Amino acid sequence: MYRTQDEVSLLRASLDGQTEAWGEIVTRYKDAVFGLCLGFLRNRADAEDVTHDAFVRAYLNLRRYNLDRKFSTWVFTIAANLCRNRIRYRRNHPVMEVEFEMEGSADPARTVAREEQQVHVREALGTLPYAYRTPLVLRFYNDLSYKEIGDILAIPEGTVKTRIHRGKAMLKEMLDKERGAS
Amino acid sequence: MSLDARDSLDELLRETLRQDATGASHSVARLEARVLETLGDRAPRRGLWGSLRALVAPTRAGRWTQLAFVGATASACLLVGFFLGDRLPRDRSPEPVALTRAAAPAVKTATAEASDQDGVLFILPAPNARVVSLVGSFSEWEPVPLTDNDGDGIWTAQIPLSPGRYEYAFIIDGRWFGQDPSADDYVKSFGEYSSVRYIGGGGGA
Repeated sequence: MYRTQDEVSLLRASLDGQTEAWGEIVTRYKDAVFGLCLGFLRNRADAEDVTHDAFVRAYLNLRRYNLDRKFSTWVFTIAANLCRNRIRYRRNHPVMEVEFEMEGSADPARTVAREEQQVHVREALGTLPYAYRTPLVLRFYNDLSYKEIGDILAIPEGTVKTRIHRGKAMLKEMLDKERGAS
Repeated sequence: MSLDARDSLDELLRETLRQDATGASHSVARLEARVLETLGDRAPRRGLWGSLRALVAPTRAGRWTQLAFVGATASACLLVGFFLGDRLPRDRSPEPVALTRAAAPAVKTATAEASDQDGVLFILPAPNARVVSLVGSFSEWEPVPLTDNDGDGIWTAQIPLSPGRYEYAFIIDGRWFGQDPSADDYVKSFGEYSSVRYIGGGGGA
């Protein structure tokens, strides 16, 4: 029943206490939110926890959501804030081993060279400073505009552009260094 | 594929991030159930304004029922206030406490004539006190000890004062006692009462 409803109807139903409607909202956005958290945190278990918390918090604060704003931007903002809290927590409570689980390739035809490049990108992303990694994830995983990224991270649009530019430059430098070494 | 081309890096980033999320997507396979389980019966929080609006908004029980409930509650509050109004003390102004009222006069000052020779005699009955002192405008609010040499619980101090208005208070075992029952007036400053006494009909401190 809920799958055919539009987003606003689902949100109104959720506000009326119909949690099944909220379940449908979770289904629609969970991949985007999880991918954001995974990109930000680079840790699967933390990303899973934060994604769960983000949807719980969003539901409890649903009355604060302004219909004029894109729902995705709102829920991404909540997730980004929770990720920032988790990163701070991890500074004092580091995990023994950074966990990043991969399960095969989505594309069987992928060449070995391409997969190798992705391994290097993954490693480079992990070492990139958080302030530069987050706009890259929002730009290249969530396909958001500079303005939306600025709204979510609470930074000016110009800063978003700068950080994306510098973040990519740093990544490229790391990848080139890796390529030169191999 | 070379990384020199800008588009290539963009595409590589996009692919890597998506593959990461897809590869770990089993982590959120049952997320809906977990979220709904966590939420349980909890509903979205109301803000203050929302709560007020909900109070007056029509419900399934009907607007009249709701308004009748609000009206009845307000009337009950008014009635309680009306009946309690006469019973509660209206004024918490300096009503001398009973510390020395039974043994009044608690503070007996000498006459203005006597003050020319011996000063003003402050007397305070405080049978169980261990240390009693007097502070006032005449001593720049520095403590002046009262004495009880014969141990009868009557503490005294003789202070030479010229005619004028003086504020004072006793300190009994470290506790401020500013409401002398025999004072001419009281003033309240910094949250504490002090007594006022006019010596020799003087009007200035």
